[in-house]
Amino acid sequence: MMFDLFKRMARAPAFDATGLGSTLLARPIGSGCTLPAGASGVAVDRGGRTRRISAGGRMGLLDGESGWCFHPGPYGCDLVPFAAAPEIGLRLHFAVDSPDPRVSQQRFDLFLASEGAGDLSLAGFAAGIEAALQRELAQGNLDLPPCTTLDEWNAFRAGFNQLLYTRFGVTVDDCVPVDLRPGRDFAEVLRARAVHDADEPYIGVEAAPAAAAAAAPAAGAALAKVADGTPFDPAREDARALRRLFLELPCLMCRVRQATLPSGQDLFRQQQALLQRLDLVCLAASTMPALGLAAPGQPLAPGQQLRRARHSVAAAAALDEAWALLARFELAEDRGLEVLFDEADRIVANLEHALGARKLATEGEDA
Amino acid sequence: MSAAVSEAVSEAVFRSLLADGSVVTVTATRRPRGGRADIKCSAPGAPALAARMQEVARLARHTEARYDSRDQVVISMDRAPGAQERDWELAVVLADRTVRGLLLPAATPQLALGWSDGWQRGRIDGHDAAQAPAGALLGGPRHLRHLGALSGQPDVSASVSSARAWFPLHSGGINDSLCWVEVSVYPLEPGEAPDDEAIAAPGLDSARQHAVRQTLAGARHFDGEAAPRWRTTVRFGQDGLHGNSYELALVLADRLARGREFLPRGRIIATGCSGAWHAGQVEGVEGLAPKCALIAREAAAGDRVLLPRAWEAHLPPGLRDGLRVKGASLACVERIGLI
Repeated sequence: MMFDLFKRMARAPAFDATGLGSTLLARPIGSGCTLPAGASGVAVDRGGRTRRISAGGRMGLLDGESGWCFHPGPYGCDLVPFAAAPEIGLRLHFAVDSPDPRVSQQRFDLFLASEGAGDLSLAGFAAGIEAALQRELAQGNLDLPPCTTLDEWNAFRAGFNQLLYTRFGVTVDDCVPVDLRPGRDFAEVLRARAVHDADEPYIGVEAAPAAAAAAAPAAGAALAKVADGTPFDPAREDARALRRLFLELPCLMCRVRQATLPSGQDLFRQQQALLQRLDLVCLAASTMPALGLAAPGQPLAPGQQLRRARHSVAAAAALDEAWALLARFELAEDRGLEVLFDEADRIVANLEHALGARKLATEGEDA
Repeated sequence: MSAAVSEAVSEAVFRSLLADGSVVTVTATRRPRGGRADIKCSAPGAPALAARMQEVARLARHTEARYDSRDQVVISMDRAPGAQERDWELAVVLADRTVRGLLLPAATPQLALGWSDGWQRGRIDGHDAAQAPAGALLGGPRHLRHLGALSGQPDVSASVSSARAWFPLHSGGINDSLCWVEVSVYPLEPGEAPDDEAIAAPGLDSARQHAVRQTLAGARHFDGEAAPRWRTTVRFGQDGLHGNSYELALVLADRLARGREFLPRGRIIATGCSGAWHAGQVEGVEGLAPKCALIAREAAAGDRVLLPRAWEAHLPPGLRDGLRVKGASLACVERIGLI
């Protein structure tokens, strides 16, 4: 015991804080390390519960906890709100704000616990924000039309600020439209596409069904995955998506309970029904069978594993939409609530559908 | 989007042509899913064709931003095309979209012909019918190139970027219509000197070609384009234009095509001209009342209506609210560009 203690003191683990606060938002940190100046710590236990360790302290981690060190910023990044318009963008400055004492768990801590894997780089985080922004604009939940007027811009900013706070737990300091032209040349992009088109082998009708079968389950929601062409690793993607669902769904339910105060009997009933269904979705997520097993001791074919993983990813995409919808609930006035409840109904239905399909060992094609 | 949910139709009908010249009717209906497949297809006596229909519809859904698992769409054809025929594909995709409220239903069933090997990207590669009737919606390089083009948006995977904007064409009340202008841009080779033909508008007389060039050159100067980068083609939906109220729509289509403008979810409908495009100014044009009436009639969910600031004080009462109810938005601008 004594020997153990000495060894731990003698080791004096060093923490490499290079880039923290500029190109890195957060980095895993070992137990016993001293937090660098200005940075805070988050300890995450096996069940995903988090606690903060204030700046300048030592990371005293209990058994089974993993530690994160994050710098509050401020950070700056450029976002492209529309994939088809790469020369016009938004310059965003944001920070991880001081903890809100009214909530038991900070959203940013939950983000680290559920989505953190290795270093959290600014570029990766900005890509996540950009994806969320593009989806909200494409669905029409945020509006950034051509020749935006000042009123429309303010409405957009309010929605965008709330989205980033609800989904990522960061606070927007400033956000302005910018011309990305010097750094990003659309002509070069088009030229690259022309070269790519010439190189691409002709995909005939014969090749199409295979691509379709692989792509079909995650219709629409997983569009980005189809486009970028990185290999899809079923085991990793499935684990990541299920971890997110497992940790975030209970928190989401909590927030739904708090955020909306339905004014009438009808809306109250709808909310109750919604919460009940969310409860069942939570249960489904936390009792999900293993990816590689059709039944205990029965391995599952790789093709079916891929299908299951795609359904998990689709469920995680619905979860993202749910966070975005929660942000809209928090800004909503009474008269807009019915539309939002319809959206909630759709999202919960998508979650139920994707998780139900993830559970199945084989896909039953039905009428 | 919310408007789309409540107004969604429960049946959509499109027509297409078979190789022997006969008409096939594609009907899509929507019903609660009830644990069934998301898309169910049928064609008389051709189960393999039904499977291909389902695949086409599913692939095309990959370009949609919003996924709804609550509905089942049932698509059927009243006769079975031959195994090699593919012109019915576009009709199936459009019917699937229309029945879910993503596209506006037309008053009479529309004729649509087109096939694609890249539905998952929203591309339409061509159509086979040698002679198509006038008014048919044709897919292919010189017609409808991808699904987003229905609302004028550029294809994010094509090497030629082309975008459309619409402007009201006033011709005596009953013939008023929205006309589109399409701008396609392709980068000049490095070191290639831009000649007169760098901005081409085939089919226009020389005076109007000159006006189009002047407008685009001015607007691009306003953008701070130091050296010309683009080979440009401008096309109009109709011949015989009068006046210059198309200029704002032309400039906005050009900005969309060059990737320098925020995208609306629907179409851009704009009217306005300018004597100083190099300063980005937008000035008023004639015909406020008939054009506003036309816009109020034609605008659909997601459309963005842009009018000159000079019109703002004289707008018909109720226009703004009427557009908002439809899900479109209106702005009166005195300058193009960012806020």
